[in-house]
Amino acid sequence: MEALKMENITKIYPNGFVANKGITFSVQEGEIHALVGENGAGKTTLMKVLFGMEQPQEGRIYVGGKQVKITSPLDAIAKGVGMVHQHFMLVPSMTVAQNVTLGIEPRKHGLVDNEACVKMTQQLSDKYQFGLDATATVSELSVGLMQKVEILKALARGAKVLILDEPTAVLTPQETKELFEQLKLLKKSGHSVIFISHKLEEVMELCDNVTILRHGYCNGSYPISELDERKLSRLMVGRDVILKIEKPDPKPGKPVLEVKNLEKLSDEGKVVLDHISFTIREGEVLGIAGVEGNGQNYLSDCISGMQKYDGGDVLLNGKSISGRKISDIRRSGMSHIPEDRMTVGCVSTMSIMDNVMADRFDRPENMKGIFLDQQKAIAQTDALIKEFEISCDDRSEEIRLLSGGNIQKVVVAREFTSGANFVLANQPTRGVDVGTAEMIRKYLVRQVREKQIASLLISADLNEVLEVSDRLLVIRQGKIVAAFSKASMVSEDELGEYMLGIKTMTPDEMEGLL
Amino acid sequence: MNKTKRIENTFDVVRILIAILLAYLIALIILALISDDPWNVISLFIIGPFNSKKHVGDIFTLMIPLVFTGLCMCFVYAINKFNLAGEGAVNLGGCLAACVAIALRDTAVPGWIAIILCIIVGALAGMLSTAIPAIADQVFHADVCVISLMLNYILLYFTTYILKNVIKDQGASVTASYKLGRKVKLANLIPGTQIHIGLLIALACVVFVAILFYKMPFGYKMRAVGVNPSFARYIGIPVGSTIILSQVIGGAFAGMGGSVQILGMFPRYKWESLTGYGFDGLMIAVLARKNPVLVPLSAFLIAYIRTGASLVATKTQIPPEFVSIIQGIIIVLVAAEMFLSGWKKRLIFSAAKKSLKEKEAKA
Repeated sequence: MEALKMENITKIYPNGFVANKGITFSVQEGEIHALVGENGAGKTTLMKVLFGMEQPQEGRIYVGGKQVKITSPLDAIAKGVGMVHQHFMLVPSMTVAQNVTLGIEPRKHGLVDNEACVKMTQQLSDKYQFGLDATATVSELSVGLMQKVEILKALARGAKVLILDEPTAVLTPQETKELFEQLKLLKKSGHSVIFISHKLEEVMELCDNVTILRHGYCNGSYPISELDERKLSRLMVGRDVILKIEKPDPKPGKPVLEVKNLEKLSDEGKVVLDHISFTIREGEVLGIAGVEGNGQNYLSDCISGMQKYDGGDVLLNGKSISGRKISDIRRSGMSHIPEDRMTVGCVSTMSIMDNVMADRFDRPENMKGIFLDQQKAIAQTDALIKEFEISCDDRSEEIRLLSGGNIQKVVVAREFTSGANFVLANQPTRGVDVGTAEMIRKYLVRQVREKQIASLLISADLNEVLEVSDRLLVIRQGKIVAAFSKASMVSEDELGEYMLGIKTMTPDEMEGLL
Repeated sequence: MNKTKRIENTFDVVRILIAILLAYLIALIILALISDDPWNVISLFIIGPFNSKKHVGDIFTLMIPLVFTGLCMCFVYAINKFNLAGEGAVNLGGCLAACVAIALRDTAVPGWIAIILCIIVGALAGMLSTAIPAIADQVFHADVCVISLMLNYILLYFTTYILKNVIKDQGASVTASYKLGRKVKLANLIPGTQIHIGLLIALACVVFVAILFYKMPFGYKMRAVGVNPSFARYIGIPVGSTIILSQVIGGAFAGMGGSVQILGMFPRYKWESLTGYGFDGLMIAVLARKNPVLVPLSAFLIAYIRTGASLVATKTQIPPEFVSIIQGIIIVLVAAEMFLSGWKKRLIFSAAKKSLKEKEAKA
């Protein structure tokens, strides 16, 4: 029986961006249905529509054969649709049982019946073999267990259809395996699961059917048995994903960035960077691979000066960046493509010109006395729009009206032309269309080789780190766990083993490679 | 221009016009209900401000302090810190300017130097007024809105203290300062009205602020910090100092407004309550969408409504408070970003769909 059907869904955001165009797909009872597509293909938007967080402009949703209008997440839950977000929505200081029953607590004499809460949670956990202790405090659980609490939360509220948004992104391989077993158990009990992922092998292993989104359109639904990974990836991106970048061998010059025994504690006092050391020289790209959330963002923030570090040092062109202002660090050779382009990398309500000129508007060469030199700004902006093929109406267009790829081009254009000799690129192609991603990667490599600048590439995209980097490090739980002198010699499988902690190099093995 | 942007721009103008029309409509209904002679009152309210040279002059004289405080609030609004000390800054600026004027009255200092000194002192007083909440907010994380509102009363009572204990003319029949002297009186601009050269000073300030906002590095920094502080920090703009500095600069204009108002309009200083110009300034900045160039226009609009209201109040039985209703409605409707937003969205959606269809047709 059909558990859920979305028919002809069109969603346009208030800035005029069309995220979903006439998408139709359906999920059967007792089915695990994969929803795949590149970043920016419209998966998240579609699920937001289904979960009542966004209202579509067109289209109908059927739950259990009945047409429904889902107006809010609360409404979605009431209609039997539950969602497990990528970022958990839990109260860390409360127990598992309290989290699971929050808002639906069993009552006794008008008061919350704690015993019943625990009992109900424990029964549910045991039924699906989640192995949770209902009385444990959530903040003390591992990420994998927290995810189970999230799933339990949805089940306790009577969800028949469960949306899992990239559930494995934060899990170790063992945890992933366990999750899959439990999802299969759920399927047997008649639940439907919508599994969002871009890890194709997981989709192949777990799911029954798959719906592919591309550029906001639906690119068909298929039974998994009819597909293999190659076919699936073609449907997703329209060509083979394997990316090859031609690049000459690096000729490393003198050190540009030296990271020495870098230590960082999070606000909660947890060690998030644990004695990290490496050196990047002129003319080379050092890649850092790792599962997201293993300290990459702390590393990026410490190197760029956005956060203070707690031990060790970072030297840029021979000078420590400790205690210096960001403007000063930038002037001494840093440029930085941040992970989050919308909140950090640009001002969305200002023009392309304002965004491109943001780091250089007050440099003497761009000033006419005490005034900004409008003509120079226009000339520079127009040149960059042309060079980076930013598709826009003109330089005065507000950034928010551009597509994700074009916004990233604006950020990249600014950072690559700032005159810096070190480029920190943190997830430079995340959520960007394939064409733009390729262009950014090639540009990075060309700049490094031609201008003999140094670059640190932090990326969760294995293909990208392997192709773009010269040397490669792997970060796990805030530590460098592997180092390779030639990124092109490493296979994805090998890299995966280090990323997931199946293998770790000893300091001796990494000697001389950092 | 981009289609979406064009819809948004057109829409903004239309929305403000509708807001004003709606406010007037409601005011007219109220007038019609509470007046015996509604048509007379209505024509007095709408046409009255334009029916004599003196009345038109009143609009422009009232506009002068509003332009100053409007500029002040543009700074505050641009960096998203609701520092309302501009209200008290008007009093402090006016009071200290009066003190300077009185001190210089019987000296040989020429009039124009005395005027400049008064205005500079007024500006400094304004800067001090807005600096206190700005620094408290930035350094001690004390909410800038609360601190500045409280500060307004401290400033009011401080200036009242000075008025009653330092510059009070015991010979005057009401509480008032000594005479400020003829030489600091701002010259009349148009005979038959009260318009004084303060209007030119105000407009010069508008030009200066517009240049500062759009042609100088500081304006750029300020706008970037206002819309996205994390971006500003990332790109190397000193966020904290920009936030404080723009509030301080803004305060200078409110203080100047106070001093210009005193020098231009009154022979003696006698403010014993808050003037309201500072709060009006916020309304003007909101109407002008924090664009200094539009400040004179929105100041004119508010001054026009006020002038009509006081005409109604003097010549009929209608209390002037009803004008607050109109202002309230305009501001609520203009500030309410969601007002008519459904209509705007529909326009954008249909435009997006259309261009989508065109694209598909081509492909």
